[in-house]
Amino acid sequence: MTLPARLVPTEMRLDLPLYFAVALLAGAVIALQIGIMRVFSVGNWAHFGSLVVSLAMLGFGLTSAAMCVTTAWFERHWKGAAGLSLLLFGPLAVGSNLLAQQVPFNAIFLVSDPSQKWRLAANFLLYLIPFLAGAVFLGTMFLKAREAFPKVYFADLAGSGLCGLVFLGAMYVVLPANLIVVPLGLWFLAGLLWFASLRSLSFLAGLVAAAILSLGLHFALPAKTGIPTLATSDYKGVAYARKFPDAARVYQAASPFGLIEVYSSSYLHFAPGLSDNAAFNLKKMPSNAYLGMYIDGDGPIGIIRKLPADETAYFRFLPMIYPYLLKEAPETFVVQLGGGISTSVALAGGSTSVTVAEGNPAILSALRDDRFLRDFTGDLLRDPRVSAVDQDGRLFLARTDRRYDVIDLSLADSAGLSNPGGFAIVEKFGYTREAMAAYMRALKDGGILSVTLWNKEEPPKSVLKLYATMAEAAKEAGGDPAKSFFAASSYLSTTTVLYKSGGFTPDEIEKLRAHTKAMSFDVLYHPGFEVDEGAAKATLENYRNQIFFDMAALRKDAAAPEGEPPPGGDLPPPGVESDAEPTVLPSVTLGRLAWKRLLTGGWDEFSRGYVFDSRVLTNDRPYFAAYVRPADLPRVTDRLELLQDEWGYLLIWATFGVACLAALALVLLPVAFGWRTIFSRQRGKAGTITYFACLGLGYIVVEVGLISNFVLALSNATVSASVLITGMLVFSGFGSFVSERFIPRARTTMPVVFAAIVALLVAYALALPLVLDAIGALPYGLRLLACFALIFPPAFLMGFPMPTAMSWLARLEKESMFVWAWGINGSFSVVGAALVPILATSFGMGSVLLVAACAYLIAVPAFFSVLKPKPA
Amino acid sequence: MKRRDFMVGALAASAGAATGASAKVSTPYDFNTMPPLDDREAFIEWAKTNRGEDERFLSERWSRYRAVVANKDVATDRDKRAFLMTPREEFVLKKNLRRAYDHAFLDIDYGVTISGPHIVSRMTTVIDVKQGDKVLEIGTGSGYQSAYLANLTDKVWTIEIIKPLAERTRGIYDALIAKGYTEYKAIASRASDGYYGWEEAGPFDKIIVTCGIDHVPPPLLQQLTTGGVMVIPVGPPGAQRVLKVRKEEAPDKSIQVTRSDIYGGRIVPFVPFTKLEGDAIKGTHNK
Repeated sequence: MTLPARLVPTEMRLDLPLYFAVALLAGAVIALQIGIMRVFSVGNWAHFGSLVVSLAMLGFGLTSAAMCVTTAWFERHWKGAAGLSLLLFGPLAVGSNLLAQQVPFNAIFLVSDPSQKWRLAANFLLYLIPFLAGAVFLGTMFLKAREAFPKVYFADLAGSGLCGLVFLGAMYVVLPANLIVVPLGLWFLAGLLWFASLRSLSFLAGLVAAAILSLGLHFALPAKTGIPTLATSDYKGVAYARKFPDAARVYQAASPFGLIEVYSSSYLHFAPGLSDNAAFNLKKMPSNAYLGMYIDGDGPIGIIRKLPADETAYFRFLPMIYPYLLKEAPETFVVQLGGGISTSVALAGGSTSVTVAEGNPAILSALRDDRFLRDFTGDLLRDPRVSAVDQDGRLFLARTDRRYDVIDLSLADSAGLSNPGGFAIVEKFGYTREAMAAYMRALKDGGILSVTLWNKEEPPKSVLKLYATMAEAAKEAGGDPAKSFFAASSYLSTTTVLYKSGGFTPDEIEKLRAHTKAMSFDVLYHPGFEVDEGAAKATLENYRNQIFFDMAALRKDAAAPEGEPPPGGDLPPPGVESDAEPTVLPSVTLGRLAWKRLLTGGWDEFSRGYVFDSRVLTNDRPYFAAYVRPADLPRVTDRLELLQDEWGYLLIWATFGVACLAALALVLLPVAFGWRTIFSRQRGKAGTITYFACLGLGYIVVEVGLISNFVLALSNATVSASVLITGMLVFSGFGSFVSERFIPRARTTMPVVFAAIVALLVAYALALPLVLDAIGALPYGLRLLACFALIFPPAFLMGFPMPTAMSWLARLEKESMFVWAWGINGSFSVVGAALVPILATSFGMGSVLLVAACAYLIAVPAFFSVLKPKPA
Repeated sequence: MKRRDFMVGALAASAGAATGASAKVSTPYDFNTMPPLDDREAFIEWAKTNRGEDERFLSERWSRYRAVVANKDVATDRDKRAFLMTPREEFVLKKNLRRAYDHAFLDIDYGVTISGPHIVSRMTTVIDVKQGDKVLEIGTGSGYQSAYLANLTDKVWTIEIIKPLAERTRGIYDALIAKGYTEYKAIASRASDGYYGWEEAGPFDKIIVTCGIDHVPPPLLQQLTTGGVMVIPVGPPGAQRVLKVRKEEAPDKSIQVTRSDIYGGRIVPFVPFTKLEGDAIKGTHNK
């Protein structure tokens, strides 16, 4: 299309190198974001990385709000503003990171230590600074080249998307502490192109000086002074291993699948869920039996040494031995390799063959290819009885025709003894109803599925979800679930659920009961197990009261004069309760009641009455998290430390709150300063704000929501994030490029585009889990292609609305609105990104896409506000 | 042990660097000495005179003592005495001195915390230490837990896995002993792997484990006397649940181990961090 002559930019025409400069700097910005998140994952707590980065992205909103009230100044001084901000981006990125790493904060003290809040604030402000510089550069470009906005926007999106891919590649060769060199490199190239195109020698010299300064700050200064460029929290798992006197790092590899470090030390002892009775039945435990594997500093996962037969006697006291008590010479499938302990137990349990799956290629490659680890494990993966599958066990079992006698899913994750923050909210597709059903279907007739999970929560949380999920999957699998389960747990240790295809025989039940007794574990369920229903009401009420007791009554009691009854009601003095002590612990009673209700009816009511959410895990809601019901959230603010393992979930609500406030402030700022001046002659302001808010929110909600969804097919969060970031941004950039043609006809084309977007999102919300599950069965290369193909239609169309509206704002000479719109879009992206995990954990991932569809629907009428011309 | 998780314990910046909060103890230590348990002013006066301790910390200690009593974290006068006789301020980092008697756990470097006063009291009360009992602590940390135990028995062993921390805490004990806190002579300490216990000193009547582990170390169960009790906190600090393990002889003479909670099988409300004003709990630190 051709623009009216008066609108053709006279001061600046972007040529190719300048488009590339925009693309590279946009890429540097996204690389810096991912880089900071990696620094937090490895050194601190991943959730804070997301928090800091998403809030730092408010830098775009802040910049736009400021530019919006000073548009005229930026029009005049665009060259200087763009040049200076570009020049500063590199040194600011390095400097901010270095300073932020000197003020580490510790999430576990966030509630109890007031100074931690300031440290967090300092981190946020420091990491905000480089994004401000990036935003000023990109904002100035958008403003100056607004007539060619679709093309600049294309450069911005495509640059971001492709540089995300560059970053992914860099993660294979650069350690997390030095990943900042990736945004630095991109920034330097952007600067070279930009200043060379403008033939600005002084700026070029400045750029070289800034690059030298940046590298010096990152490499030379820390080397000389000993200050860290990546401060690892003392509370990270790996920090403890490093303190053991004889600790030695025997393996390290960086990749998008995480920084894997393996340490050897005689101080590492693993025997997950070991029965206490082992102490009196074993001569001794094997020593130096494990190496500690840490992924991004978290762990350890124990890598098991090849033990001679006489040293494996203790396997009998581990909960994962259960299926081998009943099955002789089974063909076994181990759902997750981890450090190999389940596989070793399966072999020691007499398995004639063990097929073991591992979804993390970095772990597989460490154990399969590294000489030291191969020797240590006795080359476990090359044992003739063992065959390894390099994909998620869940995906493999859903597709294979092979059937197994035993399928084991035991303590797949590390012991999780501590976390520098809380527990991360991650998709656990291996534990969903769909996955459990796949495991059950892959059993031979009479085969046993054995699932062991940590049982370290009081009140119990994750174990109840597991029980409910397995019971529901069994109903899908057919047969009589009441005859097919056996469950036993050990207090504050582990819980094991066995499912037998076709049901247990009385002999088998007796055998399992005898073993459970010999281990001093507690039976929770077996066919024919009797439970006293009378305890249900009191147990549920007491557990609810354990968390949500009346603080006011407590205070009143505590303030009472000496001699009056203290708080705690009839709480006995500890240590003197042995006579009155009930023989069954409340958590055991709860587990027994839960199983009875699950298999004989009444679970829904029981579950509703429990203090925490215990709904099943599904592919739509695959989280062992979000136990606090949204309605209870206002009541937990004064007792946060009781829910420290839920801080990941509570933090997303906090992030959402902060993002909303910040977005509101950024919307109100220009309004307060310019509603009657700058914007006074512009019509359709409210509609325009709504439009760009909807776009910002809708776009990011789709992008972030699909990252979680696509893990279903791609098995790995990092790969999924890369595919989505690259796919969405590049395809949307393409859409933006194409949209230019339709700008004059926008009034008629855009409603169609919006309708198509909404229709696609609704269809995806309904059908995506099934489609992705099917894609998961393909070879990995094809999976990637199929995923990109799935992303293309919505992403391409979602590239239209933003540049079309921006071009119209430019056409209508609404410059201030133009800059502001970009900022509103950015601010609401932050809100949307924070909203996604809340929606996904509470209502499921399908709801995320539906919310995005609503946002795009609301944008349709709002679009016509954008088109309102200025009054003559 | 996999690694130190969060442990009970405490102190100061460098080895042996006492906080300077107290002067020399003027009255020799005696297990039969009982400080005033019912009156703030009398207690403070008594401790100033006999222990040479700082009035500010004594006042804070008394306030926390009232909360500990109100919460039934201590049961007997012996427990109460042990709480009041242990100068917690000597075991926290200088930067946390002002928060020494807060409900919360505090950082003591090395990725280790000093547990809050309530959980230390509760765990100690649960194992019901008698005079003359042999007690083993796994995870010395700050040293506060063993110092507290030294007011209940004269036989305490403590093991710390992180060597520099073990040395620092030993330095604190030695400095305090030199100052007149002779009760800490009862504490034998060493830096080693607590997983294997302290076999040559065992068996022990009571064991307190204050570090993360995915199973109860068999050597510790072996070094526990029959009829003995072991306590282990499980979970994140602040939300820790205490596991109680008892070793008993069954009627058929076999050895049995039973796991239980420390609340007698009852479900009790969990009290979050409380804020004290005077003797009264005025809310929590979060509000």
